[in-house]
Amino acid sequence: MNLTYPTTLVLQALANGFHYGFDVIDATALPSGTVYPILRRLEREALVRARWEKPEIARREQRPPRRYYELTAAGEALLETALARYRAPQAIAARGRRLRPARSS
Amino acid sequence: MNKPLDSARGRPLSLRVARRIVALTSVVVPRAERAEWRREWEAELEHRWAMTRRRPTDWRSGMDLIRRASGAFPDAAWLRRQFTADADLVHDLRHTVRLALKTPGPTAIALLVFAVGIGATTAIASLADTLLVRPLPLSDADRIVTIWERNTATGIGHADVAPGNAIDWVGRSRSFQAIAAVEPWSVDYTGGDEPEVLRAGRVSERFFDVLGVRMFHGRAFLPQEYVRGNDRVVILGHGVWETRFGGDPALVGRAIQLGDEPYTVVGILPPDIELRLLGGPERVLWLPKYFEEYEPKIRTSGYWNVIARLSPGVTLEQARAEMDGLSRQLATELPRSNTNTVAEVITLRDHLAGSLHALVPLLAGAAVFLLIVACANVANILIARGALRGRELAVRQALGAGRGRVVRQLLTETLLLAAIGGGLGLFVARWALDLIARLRPVDVARVDSIPLDVRSALMAFGLTIAASVVAGLAPALQLSRPAAATALHEGQSGGPRRGVRGALVVVEVALALLLVVGAGLLLRSFALIQKVDPGFQRDHVRALQVFAYDRRNEKPEGRALFVQRVLENMRSLPGISAAGVVSAMPFIEANMNIQAIVEIVGRPPAPPGDDSRIFLNVAAGDYFQAMGISLLRGRLLNERDIAGSPAVVLISRTAARTHWPGADPIGSRLKFRYHGRPFEAEVVGIVGDARHDALDQPARAELYLPHAQAPTGAVTFVVRSREGSPVTMMDLKKQIWAQDPLEPLYRTATLDELVDRTLVGRRFSLVLLAGFAAAALLLASAGLYGVLSSSTSHRTREFGVRIALGAGRREIVGLVIREGLLLAAIGLVIGLGGAVWLTKFLRSLLFGVTPTDPVTFSAVAAGILVIALVSCYLPARRAVKVDPLIALRAE
Repeated sequence: MNLTYPTTLVLQALANGFHYGFDVIDATALPSGTVYPILRRLEREALVRARWEKPEIARREQRPPRRYYELTAAGEALLETALARYRAPQAIAARGRRLRPARSS
Repeated sequence: MNKPLDSARGRPLSLRVARRIVALTSVVVPRAERAEWRREWEAELEHRWAMTRRRPTDWRSGMDLIRRASGAFPDAAWLRRQFTADADLVHDLRHTVRLALKTPGPTAIALLVFAVGIGATTAIASLADTLLVRPLPLSDADRIVTIWERNTATGIGHADVAPGNAIDWVGRSRSFQAIAAVEPWSVDYTGGDEPEVLRAGRVSERFFDVLGVRMFHGRAFLPQEYVRGNDRVVILGHGVWETRFGGDPALVGRAIQLGDEPYTVVGILPPDIELRLLGGPERVLWLPKYFEEYEPKIRTSGYWNVIARLSPGVTLEQARAEMDGLSRQLATELPRSNTNTVAEVITLRDHLAGSLHALVPLLAGAAVFLLIVACANVANILIARGALRGRELAVRQALGAGRGRVVRQLLTETLLLAAIGGGLGLFVARWALDLIARLRPVDVARVDSIPLDVRSALMAFGLTIAASVVAGLAPALQLSRPAAATALHEGQSGGPRRGVRGALVVVEVALALLLVVGAGLLLRSFALIQKVDPGFQRDHVRALQVFAYDRRNEKPEGRALFVQRVLENMRSLPGISAAGVVSAMPFIEANMNIQAIVEIVGRPPAPPGDDSRIFLNVAAGDYFQAMGISLLRGRLLNERDIAGSPAVVLISRTAARTHWPGADPIGSRLKFRYHGRPFEAEVVGIVGDARHDALDQPARAELYLPHAQAPTGAVTFVVRSREGSPVTMMDLKKQIWAQDPLEPLYRTATLDELVDRTLVGRRFSLVLLAGFAAAALLLASAGLYGVLSSSTSHRTREFGVRIALGAGRREIVGLVIREGLLLAAIGLVIGLGGAVWLTKFLRSLLFGVTPTDPVTFSAVAAGILVIALVSCYLPARRAVKVDPLIALRAE
């Protein structure tokens, strides 16, 4: 797996509780055209697992169900390696919280 | 798919645009993932909007939504790339390229083999297409036929028609919507640099209706122009109009001077009209023809052509049946002249295809054989390479690749090889077609201009597909056999697939043998035909043909004097050993082949059908010395045989044999008509036979009159020079022009050239077939070599053991060679069997050998065995170099 800086950012966003595509975009401040291919790649490499949001939640909010991403064990391990390589992304947590959607449970 | 939940809620423009972007982009996403992908994106967009809708919407969040939606495109593109990268085809192709780069040697050979096989086949296919399939540049040209005479006694057909027969055919046949006779003609044109003869045809009334051409400029002849005194009009061929008259459209309606008369140009033919009528190069001028009073009486000398267009609804068979009936009718009416004469209807296309018409199927067969050999060869290379890949394929199958998947991969490899090889093959085809054009057989129209175009490319494409399936299927099935998985634990030893590879080599050897036998038969025919004694000596003889009939040579005495003076002048040149004239020059294209029924005084006339025709020829000067024709008995013609003296003739040996069997012709008196004039002459000598039209046709019965007693204007000067004579053709022409500065020369050539011209067709078929045979032989021996080398490398350990156990090098060599020779021998036997059956199709091209000529067959078989031996010896020598220690350690 090609462990780039944006990949590391995405991994860390997922680890920090941002589970939806647009939330990861908010958290990392990366463009959507970068984040999504990274998510696809991670999913393909089984570093990330994707599921659909429960329909009840979506119905309650009167919108379609969203796709939900979470790290697998391998993904978490990779994040460890990545963090060892790039120390900076720690900052994301703070920034991410600030942008966290109001709706959040 | 996800429906908008409630459009009435009034989504803002930004969301609608964003959703539209996603919807449009979704087409890029691979179909299997598309629906889910779109749902995900739409859900995110909807969610984002749902969040912001609680706050006052500002334009910034709208822009953000659109910006995010535009990220869908890189996402979709990424998925598509992944998808294609994973697709089997692309994967297989990449794999093939990697593999090809890893094994450049076998790959290059396979490409080359494909290029030659596909190229040769494409060239022949283009040739066949041009000659037999493509439309001619005439309207509805496949309804046009040519009609010829066939002599049922001699079997000689496709022969020029006697005017009387042509006139009856034109007048009596009902199958044709238009039918016309064409008479060979020529006109002197002195408007150029030197006086020249333009080859013309005089055509009877419906000629241009038969052709169905629209004039390029002007018009066809009017009915009233086919009338004596009204016929000083001419239609020019496109070529001569451009080269001699500058392509000026204003020429139509103007008069040009031809010979002694002005002719009005009424029309110009469109370009590319090729009819090949009346023999030799294409006619360039057309004049109207009306039938002369005496012409219906000419029944024995054929020199006209007949061309016709079938009436609507009339089939070729019906026309043939009608002409057969008409021929029988004429034979009943004119038993003396027409008993053995029948009309032969040949389509214009077949007439134009000439000798290639018979040759094309043969060449097509040869090309297909070569292609099969090429495919077998590539298959062998692939299997050999596959053997090295045994592990890779076994691993693939072990990992779950189905057999179909592996076959597909192997076929893709072959297809790629064949595609590149086919591309290269187009170059090979171009080259081959140029070669064909250079070898051009004289009687074949349109060979110069065989295009290599989209049609050829399509044919090459089809051949490529076929070749790759043929070449790829056997290896693919072979290598993908589940049993091949044993390769996993088999290591390197064991020579797998020798059975299939051996079979392929057998096929190659058998087909190569077929082609070599064919080429061998043609070669032997060619050698034999060149050894034929034509009855004259070919070297150091030059021929200059004139038709001295114009006003200056109107009187017979004038013509006799003209000939006599020219001969005197020619003899006075340095290094000239003999000079003479003859009216029917052997091997020259345009001859007045005049035949007469000869009556021997004191004998009852021959019954009808008993062919008592003799060719009439006129000679003077040292014609027989110049040609090297020997005098067998009696005397030659001499200068005392003049107009007033007793009429004499010489006869040829064949005439003596056929007309005076067991008797002495010398002193016999003959009665016959020449140019309508009755002759009674005494036979004073017998000369040797001279072949007349072709080396493979028997000499004809011939009779020679002295020119002074029959002063024809159609003569060929024949001049023999001694070794090292400085006299050039121009020097000889000048001797003619010294007597008549306006006399054009119809044809000038050396006798060698004239004879050689008749061999062009044979040389052509020989070179082509030999080319195919050589290529097939090369491929077959390469195949044999390849099989044996890989089999010996597989048997390294076995040889090592044998050597360790005391086997001599000689035994090892014997072992390998025996394996190879066995394959070659099986191939030989099959090939010989096929050859016995197939060479009968060559019969029409053979001369002096039977289709199963034992000399050719055994020589070819021996030759192929020797080649096989050499192909086996090289791998065998490598086998004995095995060091037993290393061989055993390798395990």
